[in-house]
Amino acid sequence: MMPALQRLALPVLGFAVLLIAWEIAGRIAGPALLAPPSSVAVEYVGLLRQGEMLRELGVSLRQMAVGFIAACVIGMPLGAVMGRSAVADAIFRPWVSMFVVTSTAALIPLFILFLGTGLMLRVTIVFLASVWYITLTTYNGARGISPQQIAVARSFSASPLQIFWKVILPALYPYLLTGARIGIVHAIRAMVLAEMFVIIGYGALMHRSGLSLDTGQLLGLLITLMIVSLFFNWVLGAAGRWLAPWYDLQRVTA
Amino acid sequence: MISQSEPSNAAVSGAAPGAEPLLSRAFRDKRLLSIASVLFVIALWQWGAGHVSGFLLPPPADVLDRFLDPKWLSRLMGALGQSLVQLGLGFGLTLLVAVPLGVIIGRSVILTRMFGPVINAVYAIPPVAFVPFLIVWFGLFLEARVALVFLMSVFDVLVLMIAGARDVRGSLVDVGRSFGASHRQRLRLIVLPALLPFFFAALRVGSARAINGMITAELFFAAVNLGAIMKRATQNFDSATVLAVVILVCVLGLIAQSAITLLERRVLHWHVRAA
Repeated sequence: MMPALQRLALPVLGFAVLLIAWEIAGRIAGPALLAPPSSVAVEYVGLLRQGEMLRELGVSLRQMAVGFIAACVIGMPLGAVMGRSAVADAIFRPWVSMFVVTSTAALIPLFILFLGTGLMLRVTIVFLASVWYITLTTYNGARGISPQQIAVARSFSASPLQIFWKVILPALYPYLLTGARIGIVHAIRAMVLAEMFVIIGYGALMHRSGLSLDTGQLLGLLITLMIVSLFFNWVLGAAGRWLAPWYDLQRVTA
Repeated sequence: MISQSEPSNAAVSGAAPGAEPLLSRAFRDKRLLSIASVLFVIALWQWGAGHVSGFLLPPPADVLDRFLDPKWLSRLMGALGQSLVQLGLGFGLTLLVAVPLGVIIGRSVILTRMFGPVINAVYAIPPVAFVPFLIVWFGLFLEARVALVFLMSVFDVLVLMIAGARDVRGSLVDVGRSFGASHRQRLRLIVLPALLPFFFAALRVGSARAINGMITAELFFAAVNLGAIMKRATQNFDSATVLAVVILVCVLGLIAQSAITLLERRVLHWHVRAA
């Protein structure tokens, strides 16, 4: 419906419009308010060379992974059980809908009292920020499995275990991956939130460049976060297409 | 999230009171089970708090005491009122900007292709990371808080509205065109009603994000309102007060969600929402 050239040219044009607007705004505002992309690019090379940014990022991501994996390990089975059992649904749903609307930021002062400001705090905050989205997405997927599919498996005398492995789990793949995609976005947000709150790691780097009015460096740090977030999204999307090519991931809504 | 009442079920259990043990009745009426689950955890918490050191995990009775203290409650409600002002300003600004912009971008294939990737890229940046910027631009007070509420909710609403505007089926618009509807009529009578479900989804997601932004802003800029109450209580190791504020924010979120869902049911009675 649209020539390939146009399909490629339009996003490029969109980014060009953004960069030009930003460059003009940056030139007018000055580097203390908004560094233009031309000087951010120079800063960015410096940030990469200096190594501190990537080092801190690595540490932060490893800590985030602990919280995120714990959220997957707990959220995915919980969502699946809630989706398949009305009793589990009734027991856990009030808690899940309560926690999912609770702001992560509001929980940080509370958990500082419980856990101090160390590693456990950051892992817990990441876990709490992502687990409910993973649970709810899996829950919606598990609820949506058509009863006919299970009836067919049962009439071929599949055992409950076989039904789980051969029918329910494959039907859940796209939801598990969508849940992980939504979860990782929230995990990255929570990581930055917690680190900026207690001023440590990558968050401390951003805090420092903000205090010294070094907007070039600050924008560089933001761009790295953006790349990390887009990368994880792309990896999980690709994993979804590979694991469950029969589903179009775009149509799975949370 | 509000479960619909089931008159037939209630009639059955009402017909033979006490004939059935409470437990098995609870397993049939799922709402009873939900209430039991909440009560059970609160009881467990009260019991657990008695066995753990007091200031770590305050017992629920202590948290309730906070709400029953009229002096504290009036301070809390005053702070909440101030917080709601910035929430209203920020989220109002989001709706004012993101809803029309989303419809304009989503209705045009060229604009969607042009700006879709840009919006997704900027959306991928955690909004809290903009806090140092907002301090540079807007200072530490109301303007900065409103800006954070706006920033935290605007992309969610924008993305949903673009998705909605793209989703309006061309065949519907074609029917309108073949019945001689003008461009304006097609927009008002076909496109906008078809967008309403997405608008409500955007309201639900956006309001949750905006409330999140509200409390984040009060903790990250100069601590004011609810944020100030939390910060001071944290310094005094008064976890019951901190928990009381967390519960208030949580209830605010639940009320917003239910209110929007209720409004959606009234306005969109013709539309069956997918579970």
